[in-house]
Amino acid sequence: SVGRGGACTTSAPSLHITFSLSLSLSLSLSLSLSLSLSLSLAFCSQDIRNTVGNIPMEWYKDYPHIGYDLDGKKIFKPIRNKDELDEFLDKMENPDYWRTIHDKMTGTDVCLSDEQVDLVHRLQQGKFGDVNFNEYEPAIDFFSNEVMIHPVTNRPADKRSFIPSLIEKEKVGKLVHAIKMGWIKPRRPKETAPQYYDLWAKEDPNAILGRHKMHIPAPKMRLPGHEESYNPPPEYLLTDEERQVWEQQDPDERKLSFLPQKYLSLRAVPAFSRFIQERFERCLDLYLCPRQRKMRVNVNPEDLIPKLPRPRDLQPFPTLQSLVYHGHSSLIRSISISPSGQWLVSGSDDCTVRFWEVCTTRCLKTMEVGGPVKSVAWNPAPSISLVAVSYGENVILVNPGLGDRLICSATDQLISSYEEPEEVKDQQVQWAVPEGKAQEQGQRLILTHPKAVKQVSWHGRGDYLACVMPDDGSSLQVVIHQVSRRRTQNPFHRNKGAVQCVSFHPSRPYFLVATQRYVRVYNLIKQELTKKLMANCKWISSMAVHPGGDNVICGSYDCRLAWFDLDLSTKPYKVLRHHKKALRGVAYHKHYPLFASGSDDGTVIVCHGMVYNDLLQNPLIVPVKVLKGHIITHDLGVLDVAFHPTQPWVFSSGADGTVRLFT
Amino acid sequence: MSQLQARFFTDNKKYVIDDVPFSIPAVSEITDLSNVINKLLEGKNGDHKHVEFDFLVQGQFLRSSLATHLETENISTEEVVEIEYVEKYTAPQPEECIMHDDWISSVEADSEWILTGSYDKTARIWSLEGKAVATVAGHTDVVKGVAWVKRDGLSSLLLTASLDQTVLLWEWSSERNKLRARHCCRGHAGSVDTISVDPTRSKFCSGSWDKMLKIWSAEMSEESNRPRKKQKTEQLGPTRTPLMTLSGHTEAVSSVLWMDTEELCSASWDHTIRLWDAETGSQKNMLTGSKVFNCISYSPLCHRLATGSTDRHVRLWDPRSKDGSLVLLSLTSHTGWVTAVRWSPSHEQQLISGSLDNLVKLWDTRSCKAPLYDLAAHEDKVLCADWTDCGLILSGGADNKLYTYRYSACLSDAGA
Repeated sequence: SVGRGGACTTSAPSLHITFSLSLSLSLSLSLSLSLSLSLSLAFCSQDIRNTVGNIPMEWYKDYPHIGYDLDGKKIFKPIRNKDELDEFLDKMENPDYWRTIHDKMTGTDVCLSDEQVDLVHRLQQGKFGDVNFNEYEPAIDFFSNEVMIHPVTNRPADKRSFIPSLIEKEKVGKLVHAIKMGWIKPRRPKETAPQYYDLWAKEDPNAILGRHKMHIPAPKMRLPGHEESYNPPPEYLLTDEERQVWEQQDPDERKLSFLPQKYLSLRAVPAFSRFIQERFERCLDLYLCPRQRKMRVNVNPEDLIPKLPRPRDLQPFPTLQSLVYHGHSSLIRSISISPSGQWLVSGSDDCTVRFWEVCTTRCLKTMEVGGPVKSVAWNPAPSISLVAVSYGENVILVNPGLGDRLICSATDQLISSYEEPEEVKDQQVQWAVPEGKAQEQGQRLILTHPKAVKQVSWHGRGDYLACVMPDDGSSLQVVIHQVSRRRTQNPFHRNKGAVQCVSFHPSRPYFLVATQRYVRVYNLIKQELTKKLMANCKWISSMAVHPGGDNVICGSYDCRLAWFDLDLSTKPYKVLRHHKKALRGVAYHKHYPLFASGSDDGTVIVCHGMVYNDLLQNPLIVPVKVLKGHIITHDLGVLDVAFHPTQPWVFSSGADGTVRLFT
Repeated sequence: MSQLQARFFTDNKKYVIDDVPFSIPAVSEITDLSNVINKLLEGKNGDHKHVEFDFLVQGQFLRSSLATHLETENISTEEVVEIEYVEKYTAPQPEECIMHDDWISSVEADSEWILTGSYDKTARIWSLEGKAVATVAGHTDVVKGVAWVKRDGLSSLLLTASLDQTVLLWEWSSERNKLRARHCCRGHAGSVDTISVDPTRSKFCSGSWDKMLKIWSAEMSEESNRPRKKQKTEQLGPTRTPLMTLSGHTEAVSSVLWMDTEELCSASWDHTIRLWDAETGSQKNMLTGSKVFNCISYSPLCHRLATGSTDRHVRLWDPRSKDGSLVLLSLTSHTGWVTAVRWSPSHEQQLISGSLDNLVKLWDTRSCKAPLYDLAAHEDKVLCADWTDCGLILSGGADNKLYTYRYSACLSDAGA
């Protein structure tokens, strides 16, 4: 290896000498180095230089000399008489021992100067020997892309650079020959068989379960809203209270998974700390999303609306308020129409019952009773002229004396022809015959009940009368009177819940009892519960049975009207929520497919309710008209509704003390 | 279109003008046209007095400006418009207001006397000047219908029908002002709402809530052969039974009338008008409506039926049509049920109607959109109305008042 010599301090010509230096430094470094050094041996006054060259010095091992000097005289080995002890003593005592090295070429010990030790250190560290040498001098790029005015080399272009190469010509010739001979084939045709093929190429594009149809899109992420903005509108920022609420909420229950925050600029937005978590959740969503294909049917929303006929096609139905029956001074709880349709009876809280002529609104008769009238009911039998009126604990049967005289007198005779049975049973209800003025007014029988009577309802044949005394849990809530025999029965020994209203079935021996939530249908002959209708409402207020007998409507205080098809289910066939407030009365028309409901919001809603004889066809229910007219008084609107027996007219009684006729 | 060609003509010889077309502004109203005619008449004879005219275009009264009328009636303005003009009917003049004790359910007047039935269970006889003459008390319930049967000199026969299911035949002598119930017609099983006397004045028909029509004899029977005892028990005269019962209606009969001596017409709550043969008692024809009929009236002059229903319309029917329901015309202006209609006895195109909206309206069938006059005197429901041969319009109602009006237009028109 060739090194570059440093400047020599001596005048002697510098020589390139090679020697191996074995150093054992006191810094506990044990090094074995092969160095090539040019040393100027300043400590020698006399230049003794071995001239044997770079030969292994072992060759002079057995000679007394170790080489020859410039004059060709033998250089004798220095006398080395140091034994181990001397060596040790020298090591201990000589401070320069660590820098003393044995020169094999001359066989002398040389003490290295400081510069030389430095040099050795620098070489050991892999640095350049010359202290002043700058290894990072700026490089000068001679052969750069820059075209210089004066080229670095001025050699003319080779001839071979512009004449065709003979070697290449020879090679090409060989290839051409080989191709001609068919030894090699130029441009071997590429393999036409495709590496990949379309797995679904043979698929029928019209197949129902086609791939393109089975595509399941990834669940969509919600698009970011304003609250996710770095500068949301102030209404999206949470107030302190909202923030507290947000912090106290369970993370799963939070509406927002983060707190909207406002920053001055987009640059000021910090890194999103929940990024990993959110990505992970998204991955979970994708991974766990149901792969079951939802069979979505493309449905036009218009088709979902049932095709109802237009109300115009469903005439006749009441559309206009025609007559108003003024006279009562307080709210009218109940109205009833005579079977002939000529008379109307109304019972009011002003303790009177009034009889009206329907077509002229003439009040023909006013009868005072001893309390607010809760319920009136005209006997539905055309051959009996009786009206049941309930007030307080009493029910009076009144012969109004209207209509056919013969029927009136026959009714009187029927009641007076009663003969006391031999053994008088102790009844819970007192039957009494009024006398004096009451008799003249038309009152024929007074039935005194143990409790206040809320509702009276006649059987279709006109002999039986059911009375309701609502009292939760009592065993005596419903009684059925037989007028001709003046007998009272308590059909139920136990009532579940407070009875709201009762009704006789128009054709079969059924008895319907409505409690707050259920309507129970009892068979009076078999004396058993036939059906229990669940109204799905909180508090039934009124009930009406379709004259055909298979349908029942129930009005409730929670604004609903439930239509039951008794053949279909015990659940409502349809629930109508057209009223804004509690329903107070419902009614069916006897002949026309109409039913009406009156509500506290002051309106009567008339619906077309067509029941088909065909059992397969469900009833058609179409709301046709909202009738307004009653003035809402004390938060009460319409209290009772009743249909005219022959015409498509509906009567309604209201808290404003009027009865109104809509035609 | 600012001007149009019009030719004026009239049937009245008094007001004839030259038969030449005039160019008149399209926006002209009745008063403008009337002034034009008056000017022309003045030019013709100097002593012409100003007369208000009414105008008809193709049989319809002009009630708006000429242009709008032609547009709504779809009449071409390219050709000469033929305009008929008649003397304007003067408004009915109110004459009397007769107070009753209770609602007035029915009224019938003839040339001398007015008979009213009332809800106080009596009928009353009034002079045309509004003087109470007699009270017909005998019914035990509301009197629903009254009718004059005939008058022989000073004694008259009259009928009252009542809610108590009877019709009473009374004899009243106006000289002594003595009233006697001659017969009590029993047979109905419901309130008798309507009675009508036949043109020969020998029979009458009653319609009742019990869906029946009954024909009774209006002749006075000799009472000498009756036992005295029975006379005593029957204070209201001997009981009379119907000659014939016509059944067919499925609802209450609200109104009945004789169209001629052999034909009866009845309107009912079952939405039908039935025509009956009075001789055989068979139903001849049926007209079906869509609403309950309250009242019916027949004009022998124009052979039309007018009905009032439980809606706002007065409908005109042709009873001779065989194909069931045929409404010729609807007169719409009322806002309540129409409870009374009555054709003018002397004018073939005029009728009155009373309604529950407290109004009595005078109609001309040539103007079906708007009535000629509104008689707004009543303060409550109008329940009955009548129109006598001598041009007196009567109406009674729930405000206990009977109003009478003198309507002279028919006379002048008749004279024309």
